[in-house]
Amino acid sequence: MRLSYPDSIRIIRLPCTGKIDVIHIMEAFEKGADGVYVAGCLEGECHFIKGNLRARKRVEYTKKLLDDIGVGGERLEMYNIAASDGPRFAAVAREMHGKITALGPSPIKKSL
Amino acid sequence: MLGILFTSYEKMADEVEKGKIGSVMVVGGGIGGMQAALDLADSGFYVYLIEKSSSIGGRMSQLDKTFPTNDCSMCIMSPKLVECGKHLNIEILTLSDIENVTGEAGNFHVRLIQHPRYIDVDKCIACGTCAEKCPRKVPDEYNAGLINRKAAYIRYPQAVPLKYLIDAEHCIYFEKGRCKACEKFCPANAVDFEQKERKIQIDVGAIILAPGFQPYNPALNDTYQYGRYPNIVTSLEFERILSASGPYQGHLVRPSDGKEPKKIAWIQCVGSRNIHAGDKGYCSGVCCTYAIKEAMVAKEHSAIPLDAAIFYIDIRTYGKDFERFFNRAKDEMGVRFIKSRINTILPGEEEGDLTIRYVNAAGGIVKEAFDTVVLSVGIDIAPESIELAKNLGIELNHYNFAKTDSFDPVRTTRSGVYVCGVFQGPKDIPETVMQASAAAAEASSLLSTERNKLAKEKIYPEEIDVTGQEPRIGVFVCHCGTNIGGVVDVPMVTKYASTLPHVVVAQENLFTCSQDTQVKIKENIREHRLNRVVVASCSTRTHEPLFQDTIREAGLNPYLFSMANIRDQDSWVHQSDHKGATEKAKDLVKMAVANAAQLSPLYKTKLPATKRVLILGGGIAGMTAALNVAGHGFEVVLVEIEKELGGFARNLHRTLQGDDVQSYVAELIEKVTQNDKIQALTETILADFSGGKGNFKTALAVGPAMYHREVNHGALIIATGATEYTTHEYLYGEHSSVKTQVELEGILAKGENPIRDWKSLVMIQCVGSRNDANPNCSRVCCQQAIKNAIATKEVNPDINIFVLHKDIRTYGFSEDYYRRAREMGIQFLRFKTGGEPQVERAGEGIRVSFTDFTLGREMTINPDQVILSTGVVAGDTEELASILKVPLTSDRFFLEAHVKLRPVDTQSDGIFVCGMAHSPKRIDESVSQALAASTRACRLLSQDYIEVGGVVAKVDPELCTGCLICVRACPYEVPFINEDGVSEIDISKCQGCGVCAAECPAKAITLGHFEDTQILAEIDALLEAR
Amino acid sequence: MIVAERKPIEEIMGFAKNCKKILMVGCNECVTVCYAGGRKEVAILASALKMAFKKDGKGLEVTEVTLERQCDHEYLEEIRNIVDEHDAIVSLACGVGVQFMAEKYLTTPVFPGVNTRFMGVTEESGVWSERCQGCGECILGQTAGICPISRCAKRLLNGPCGGSTNGKCEINKDLDCAWQLIIDRLKALDRLDDYEEIIPIKDWSTERAGGPRKVVREDLKQ
Repeated sequence: MRLSYPDSIRIIRLPCTGKIDVIHIMEAFEKGADGVYVAGCLEGECHFIKGNLRARKRVEYTKKLLDDIGVGGERLEMYNIAASDGPRFAAVAREMHGKITALGPSPIKKSL
Repeated sequence: MLGILFTSYEKMADEVEKGKIGSVMVVGGGIGGMQAALDLADSGFYVYLIEKSSSIGGRMSQLDKTFPTNDCSMCIMSPKLVECGKHLNIEILTLSDIENVTGEAGNFHVRLIQHPRYIDVDKCIACGTCAEKCPRKVPDEYNAGLINRKAAYIRYPQAVPLKYLIDAEHCIYFEKGRCKACEKFCPANAVDFEQKERKIQIDVGAIILAPGFQPYNPALNDTYQYGRYPNIVTSLEFERILSASGPYQGHLVRPSDGKEPKKIAWIQCVGSRNIHAGDKGYCSGVCCTYAIKEAMVAKEHSAIPLDAAIFYIDIRTYGKDFERFFNRAKDEMGVRFIKSRINTILPGEEEGDLTIRYVNAAGGIVKEAFDTVVLSVGIDIAPESIELAKNLGIELNHYNFAKTDSFDPVRTTRSGVYVCGVFQGPKDIPETVMQASAAAAEASSLLSTERNKLAKEKIYPEEIDVTGQEPRIGVFVCHCGTNIGGVVDVPMVTKYASTLPHVVVAQENLFTCSQDTQVKIKENIREHRLNRVVVASCSTRTHEPLFQDTIREAGLNPYLFSMANIRDQDSWVHQSDHKGATEKAKDLVKMAVANAAQLSPLYKTKLPATKRVLILGGGIAGMTAALNVAGHGFEVVLVEIEKELGGFARNLHRTLQGDDVQSYVAELIEKVTQNDKIQALTETILADFSGGKGNFKTALAVGPAMYHREVNHGALIIATGATEYTTHEYLYGEHSSVKTQVELEGILAKGENPIRDWKSLVMIQCVGSRNDANPNCSRVCCQQAIKNAIATKEVNPDINIFVLHKDIRTYGFSEDYYRRAREMGIQFLRFKTGGEPQVERAGEGIRVSFTDFTLGREMTINPDQVILSTGVVAGDTEELASILKVPLTSDRFFLEAHVKLRPVDTQSDGIFVCGMAHSPKRIDESVSQALAASTRACRLLSQDYIEVGGVVAKVDPELCTGCLICVRACPYEVPFINEDGVSEIDISKCQGCGVCAAECPAKAITLGHFEDTQILAEIDALLEAR
Repeated sequence: MIVAERKPIEEIMGFAKNCKKILMVGCNECVTVCYAGGRKEVAILASALKMAFKKDGKGLEVTEVTLERQCDHEYLEEIRNIVDEHDAIVSLACGVGVQFMAEKYLTTPVFPGVNTRFMGVTEESGVWSERCQGCGECILGQTAGICPISRCAKRLLNGPCGGSTNGKCEINKDLDCAWQLIIDRLKALDRLDDYEEIIPIKDWSTERAGGPRKVVREDLKQ
């Protein structure tokens, strides 16, 4: 649909958000990402039955961990977006971009 | 060379004439046509998929969500579109009509006309420049005319084939002889105004008709004022309004002024269940449930509390789990349901508003204002379909649907021509999909000797072994005409790519997907001994298979490929920021290169398949499936728990249409027992079950002696049926005058006729259905009651029959019989919730009392007989389900893999379900589903080998601690702890989701192509030196 | 299995505060199964620690190793060559592994990465609960397979206390009264007579009260 969204976002493809590993998210922050979000199918519509539900739980866990080390759990989010819902995809990208811009660069990146 | 042939000339002519052809023509590219095409193409037949519009996808592509799960319609359908588009054995012919068909079953000659597209499909890269530059605006049919498209256009963004077309009817060049803006700007030189109509002749063995329907046009009837007030919309228009890809990007606004509606009314049965001029006498079967869906989705979409009211005659949520859906709308989401047939819609007091006059529950006439009114339009057969039937020489029924028999729901009146979907009768998506597979079953059984004769198979060169080699990566960056090149500095990105680690060659291409670029990529692989390839272009979704195939042709494993999406994720979404987009493209290429360097080849394992199907259940569904499987040339073991075959149908005598069930069952039993490919085992139960698709092993306890027998089989079909609800209510079993419908049917069949002495009879509907204990509708009882009521009345015209009901659910053509019953004087009385019928003894006789819905008063009848419409409930399925590891619904029916698009598959590959084991259904519906299950099973067994593996999870036994976490996490119950105490994943069952790999605490599980090293390499590449 | 849970990051950061390079050692046994100290948790904790240090402008190198077991000499030997390169070891094994590590590598400080909680079971994915306290004299034979030592808050041996209400323990309404469970189970087994038999005063010397314990099998000793 070619709806524009901020160019700060890079996408890493997984077969299902159920494949997202806490380690992957941690690696991204460790290497200096300012924010990470996981975009899965709508709840109840996972092609693999429950991958997106598992992903959400892992994201919640990792948010706490990021809070604990002072990076800030609010830099990580999970969104559920229907594959055909271009407008929401763009809206989420803008939302996340806005949020991360407001938070400023990651404290990890600052000290890199 | 001299040969001697001892034969009669006639016989030889006969053989030539009967030479069958291993290809099938499917007419109509909607969801039904696509399913039939895919089933056949996967089973070794070559398929011509004929579509009259410019792209496949049909009506389903226009829907926003699908009931009863509210899944996104396009999301679930687009994988099928892509699969059809890229299938080696499906040839899609768009813009084509059938002119005529000669020949006979097995060998038809079809003459087609293909209308010009004015765009060369081989050149068009779907960049959209033609549409952008086209100055002519035309109402967009895909969006139900709510917005405009251009005269150069594509039906919808996911269209297959993804090729633009020029609408000659509205094109300025065709009108005035000048313009050609599209031709001037097309970067691929694809516009061709010289294209002419083509006549094509194709020979095929069978034909499947799936032309679908058109929505009823409410403008034909001035009652609804459609076309006069813009805020009266059809349900299809409303689907587009709700859709994220629709005219308002999914914002719920009304057409006249873009205001967000606060009150929406749905008017049911627009064009259906009516015999006035222009209307249709049948029930369209889907409108109640889709209206409920639309109301729920609208409420969810609306920022303000939305009032949704549905005006109906009967709510017909008769499908699997639909009643629950209805209850949720009513009880949890507050959708209002008002039983009133609407005759007038008037303009409201506020600008754009509308007023509906209706009769409320208290019997008073009420006027209520709404700001939008949705007309739940029914299903109509398009004039083109009637023309198609004429050209094919098949008969239609009195409503212009294809004529079929009660027991042969997909055979038309012309042998070798089959039908599926709505053209056979109103139905929803899953039933269409089932029927499509059923039609494929009939066609492939007819042509079973020709399997794999015309289907193409691609031969690839032997694979180059890249183990131990340093990565040598080739990067191909695409301009995509101006799509990427107009925004991203492609030469700069290409130069940058050549500096990245392991990159041996980096090139830019105008169109990387073009045929000549494929040749170029292959040359580069050879010349530079590349062992990894990266393409930076468009979406993996559409193009990854193409490039994987290309590198495979050059001897590389297809998994040694990585793609950077610098179009959909970059140039298209950052059009005004050339610098930013170029930087992003560099990042994306760098990430893909880093990923590629870590890739390793993945292989598929070929397992031989056991060409035998085990079928559980010897009722109509099981026997039908068995005969069809045998017709495909595969062996069948048919297992029945009872002493005799026949199943529940042994209790039934006539269909609603009057066909004889008993002789049909007897005929089936005869055919099954005579068939030398079918072994029927009665009084047999399943004792043990193991293995995976293609190679199952089942232990049976056979006969009264329970002797042990093992069967190896490649697929399994569950057709174990359901049971009649046994009631203890309404004095059943205590008073001889209280009977069930099945018992009444038995009395009618015997012809002993105590019926002649009866003066009055009460039928009570929904006994054991649609209540708290069993919230489902049993689907068949209304039709059964009407069938028996008519038969009773025919025997004894003086009898008074009262049918006490909640809603009468005679969907589809069975509405005709409901109408006939009313004409015969049978009385249908709706009772109120809370005022359900009570049956008491009254001296020798019985008394029935209930609260009438319309009058709101308690009524009492003293009938001679009370007939209970006891519903259908699932049998004892739990044990079987746990042995087979197949999930059940909460009502213990077998759960299909996907409610809409995989209605006969279960979540376990190789196990299929049909008939009442899936949900309550009519005989013809069971037959369809049984044929569908057969097709799905035979599709699996038609290949000599079953390919498993690829992107699947793998356990490193050295690292595994046997913690069971993967065993618990897998949604498909695949991992198990083996004899060595470590987890093992059967690659033939693994679906490749990666949940186990992500949860393994010992990091012992990896998912092929998505290994941690590969993902981390991408992350590191992106973030290093930032 | 032995059930443990990760220590608060802050505490582990405190252990490592003066280090430049630490060795983080996971254990592929119980702590892997209870998601506290396996290969994955080592990776997550290592990443978290590194980030926490980076945030404060300090560098920290972490070497990640996961051993088959940390309660056996031979496995612990596998890291001998690299221990000295590190300022400290953080062991994600249970207390047993941490101690054994500390006994073996005397010159490098060893810190625990997890709190060892109890010997217990996986009730369901993500839920573990206590079943045994290693009292050294098992009485499960008399108590229908339900242990009053580990599951009764008061470790009563002859029936519930007055605080047992509706089958729940007085210290926590969500906690089953172990003796209620025992009685119900004995009833179901038709062995209520067992309940009548008085369990004598327990000899606590086999438990911790008798000091650190040891088991010796002479036939196996080398």
